[in-house]
Amino acid sequence: MNTPRNHEPPPLRSSSPRFRGHPEMTTLDIQDLRVAVPVRWGSKTILDGVSLTIAPGEALGLVGESGSGKTTSLRAVVGLLPRGATRSGTIHVNGTDIGTLSKAELRRFRGTQTAVVFQDPRAHINPLRSVGDFLLENLVEVQRKPRAEAERTVRGLLVDVGITDPERRMRQKPYELSGGLLQRVMIAAAMAAEPSLLLADEPTTALDVTTQEEVMAILDEQRKARGLAMLFVSHDLDLADAVCDRIAVMKDGRIVEELGAEGLRQQASHDYTKALIAARPRLQVSVPSGRPYDEKPAAAPLLEVAELRKVYRVRPATGTGHEDLVAVDSISFGLPRAGSLAIVGESGSGKSTTARMIVGLAQPTSGRIVVDGDEWQPGRLSSAERRRRGRLVQMVFQDPYSSLDRRQSAQDCLREALAVHGHLPKKQRDQRVAELLDQVGLTAEQGRALPRSLSGGQRQRVAIARALAADPSVLILDEAVSALDVSVQAQVLELLDRIRRELDVALLFISHDLPVVQQISDDVLVMHRGEVVESGAVNDVLSAPREDYTRRLIDSVPREGWQPRRRRTTPAAPDPVEVP
Amino acid sequence: MPARWPLFVLRKVGALVVTLLVSSLTIFLALHLAPGDPATAIAGGTKPNPENLARIRAEYNLDDPWWSQYLHWLHGIVTGDLGTSMVYKTDVSTLLTARVGSTALLVLYAGALILVFGIGLGVLAGLRGRVTRTVINVVTTVAMGAPTFVVAIALIAIFATTLDWLPIYGTGEGLTDRLAHLTLPAIALSLSYVAYVATVTRAAVDEEKVSEHVETAVSRGTPQRLITRRHVMRNAVAPILTVSGLSIAGLFAGTAVAEQAFGVNGIGSLLVDASAKGDLAVVQVISLFMVAAFVVVNAVIDAVNALLDPRTALEGAAA
Amino acid sequence: MSAELALSPRRPLLLRRFAGVSPVIVVAGTVLALIVLAALLAPLIAPYDPNAVDLMSPYEGSSPAHWLGTDASGRDILSRLLYGARISLAGPALVIACSMTAGVLLALVAAWCGGKVDAVISRLIEVLFAFPGLILAVVAVAVFGAGFWAPVVALSIAYVPMVARILRSVALRERNLPYVAALQIQGVPAPRIAVRHLLPNLMPMITVQAGIGFAYAMLDLAAISYLGLGLQPPTADWGVMVAEGQSSIIEGYPQESLYAAGAVLVTVVCLNLVSGWVAERYDVRGAEL
Repeated sequence: MNTPRNHEPPPLRSSSPRFRGHPEMTTLDIQDLRVAVPVRWGSKTILDGVSLTIAPGEALGLVGESGSGKTTSLRAVVGLLPRGATRSGTIHVNGTDIGTLSKAELRRFRGTQTAVVFQDPRAHINPLRSVGDFLLENLVEVQRKPRAEAERTVRGLLVDVGITDPERRMRQKPYELSGGLLQRVMIAAAMAAEPSLLLADEPTTALDVTTQEEVMAILDEQRKARGLAMLFVSHDLDLADAVCDRIAVMKDGRIVEELGAEGLRQQASHDYTKALIAARPRLQVSVPSGRPYDEKPAAAPLLEVAELRKVYRVRPATGTGHEDLVAVDSISFGLPRAGSLAIVGESGSGKSTTARMIVGLAQPTSGRIVVDGDEWQPGRLSSAERRRRGRLVQMVFQDPYSSLDRRQSAQDCLREALAVHGHLPKKQRDQRVAELLDQVGLTAEQGRALPRSLSGGQRQRVAIARALAADPSVLILDEAVSALDVSVQAQVLELLDRIRRELDVALLFISHDLPVVQQISDDVLVMHRGEVVESGAVNDVLSAPREDYTRRLIDSVPREGWQPRRRRTTPAAPDPVEVP
Repeated sequence: MPARWPLFVLRKVGALVVTLLVSSLTIFLALHLAPGDPATAIAGGTKPNPENLARIRAEYNLDDPWWSQYLHWLHGIVTGDLGTSMVYKTDVSTLLTARVGSTALLVLYAGALILVFGIGLGVLAGLRGRVTRTVINVVTTVAMGAPTFVVAIALIAIFATTLDWLPIYGTGEGLTDRLAHLTLPAIALSLSYVAYVATVTRAAVDEEKVSEHVETAVSRGTPQRLITRRHVMRNAVAPILTVSGLSIAGLFAGTAVAEQAFGVNGIGSLLVDASAKGDLAVVQVISLFMVAAFVVVNAVIDAVNALLDPRTALEGAAA
Repeated sequence: MSAELALSPRRPLLLRRFAGVSPVIVVAGTVLALIVLAALLAPLIAPYDPNAVDLMSPYEGSSPAHWLGTDASGRDILSRLLYGARISLAGPALVIACSMTAGVLLALVAAWCGGKVDAVISRLIEVLFAFPGLILAVVAVAVFGAGFWAPVVALSIAYVPMVARILRSVALRERNLPYVAALQIQGVPAPRIAVRHLLPNLMPMITVQAGIGFAYAMLDLAAISYLGLGLQPPTADWGVMVAEGQSSIIEGYPQESLYAAGAVLVTVVCLNLVSGWVAERYDVRGAEL
């Protein structure tokens, strides 16, 4: 599906005076949109004068970090604003001012002119109704099509989005489908309404990267085939770049810059856009490390994992008894002192389970973990043993919101961590707390604050400081930067790199994000369904992958000049399995 | 019917049987260990002669070990021999059959009130405008704090002095008369449950109204009545059903107060009377009956919920 | 979202804590405080001895001498209500203290240990849950005889599963948050994590449950007294007063029953309102027993 882009009309700019006052020539025309929501003390501005236009068949990418107002802009078009929100400005769709529509007209408008693809299909599709019911609802109840005809249409659409057995899928309930399949269903449902404007709100953010590529390819292909205009909201500049004709960058409720998608990086003139582009690590696939293949490090590794295995007993989907689910299948690796190793994989690959086994949060079924020449025995750990191990290996978790006790200030959190590892006189302890805060780049005032008044990045810094309190030799980072905005992510990555260099701490980096891994790690271990697929120096693996899966993983990362492609004709989508 | 459902129900029934066995053992042991000699109580009088006592002990197997007595008792319950009342000097089954009709009718009556008014008011509060909502909120807040005996007193005060539409005492003869006699007890019994079910219903409706899948339905131009019916009400059913079931199951215990207050001759008032008089045989049977009613109603609701939302059955399996 | 909210202007702590509280809640809170105060100060403020019989003046209406009138034996109803508040509040307080302690302990142990321990506790909770409080109380009375203690002990046991069931699920959610894992990795002993981290974070839920549970216990104990299975006349207790006054209603003197029933109703409604407010304030969900 490598249709050349820009076969549509030339890019239109909202600032172009030609289109002022001629909203009928555009599919979407938003002028000076302002939205405020009530908060406890007064109101908070979410959108501060947003103007944008989309021509028929054109795709506009709305890109920004969390809280920039990109999703609110999209939701305003279909009137899904938060309760009590106030709105001013105009929104025209195909020449109709939606502010002037009656309730019934608005309903009709939503059912025929626009279609939304939401971020989380599992929450956005009624869990109690069948997939078929969901797909048919609009056709039967809004478009008033006869049921048989509607069913034919829907079956066709499901095949279009790459679902090979539409009959069976339509009878199933949403919980029986994987996230990627559900998002295809959502896209099919959007197409069923035959809208002229497609609104996509981070449609692939909840999906794995290879699934993301599939779904994006389908979305792009279907949109172009039908000539739909699209407003595409995303935090991922490269992804938006790949499927849109123009990009609008949002910050603090305003559009700071609009760019044509070609040569985005060269065109960018606004500081914020430049910063955004600079913050995101770029995947480089042609820089071999120059290290001889299969070279073993001279010294014994600090952390050595051998034949580590984890099997969960689960109840199978049908019948009784037990079934073994192999989460981690005999993996081995070594991490040298002050080294940096990444374990990369998609969800369900076993990478987090591996990390949890190393820190003793999960019990290995078999295998050995050797740290600093000392083999760690499995079994129930006493607090003293945990403390001893804690002084060697520490961990930082993904979610900055729940990684800290919400009732504890940063410094109390650090004091507690210090107290665990031996008594210090008060003065020395406070000095050490100040030192730790300083190391992770937090001020003393931020140290006194409760987590709720810190940003996600600051919280993650507190979590890192807490891990450093034990003065460990290994720091395990379980998707520790995945929940952060790119600019914050860049700062935290820099911090981690500094910690590694200055404190000689080895990093075990668990991630799904190849560009980030390339930036922070020397070596990489690619995991797939519990097994190690491939390992080696990061640059070697990225420039010359030996396994198909690794290649597939690399190819699905959005980057400059990248286009999503459909790779599988039959989606191999196993029914979701609950892993304890 | 979801594939997992029969299995789910089977496991529920298993759990139910275990719960009932444990409950029966608990009740039996609690009363078995009660201070005082049952034989003396049965013989009556201040100084029963030893021969008489020995005869009674033999007749009631009082010299057997406790587990043998328990099995004997359990066997009796299952086969319909509920034992003999020591105070009323008749078979417990005779005592019960005379009264079970009134209590069953009372529970059905109150249960109907809970379903109709509890769910009805909750839905109204959830779907109508602010005024309706506020009025229902105020009423349910007060009613939730009004237990059976308080409502009973208020109703008696009203119907004894100013109004005489409905009888305030007794059981009545024939269906219409009985229903008339049971109206006030049913209101007193169900009022706080009505308020509770209404509150939970409103909360469930509120939650579904702002749920993400309803947003999707709105964004697709689905007509409001369909959103309400298919996406809001249908999805709010599970919590509503659960609390309705819990409330109706709780009615059995509540009959004790309602029947006592309005002089209804039913199982509840018999339980109170037997308890006050220390008639252990009767207390055993009735409390077991009420626990069983509670457990069975709950199990039925669980099964229905699993039928309506197959994920419930799946969750049970994962545990 | 919360990060932005944190930027909203800071107000003085006390003002912030109570600003925007609906007047209904303020009134309910004040009424509760007054009721507790009345119970504590009953000997000082009650105009009469609650048990002083005056057979010459039964069924008196409200008057300057007897603000709320007198009952069938000529006892002052106001004094009996004030003294009655003591035992009517003490019973539920005991029930809640016992059942909350046991419930919290069970919930924490189940959530912390998981696996078999959790399975056993959950099963125990489920079986106990089958006993409605009132039934357990009636059985207890049949065994130990009517009075204050049998129903209080029975309800203390009967409420444990209701408390533990909800708290267990909340504690389980809390226990699975990464900050707990981080503390474990540090080597903080489990009891310390439970007491210093889990418990404080569960406090809002525990408070709300205690409030709602207190209301339920009060209703159940009053109902038991009313049935003649709890406290016995002539003890001044609200439930007993309702029962004692019931026969007088037919004779046209409803005041004793109505005032006592009213006292129960007002206390319970205020408790429910305040508990509801706390639940909303701390975003506690599903605390209903």
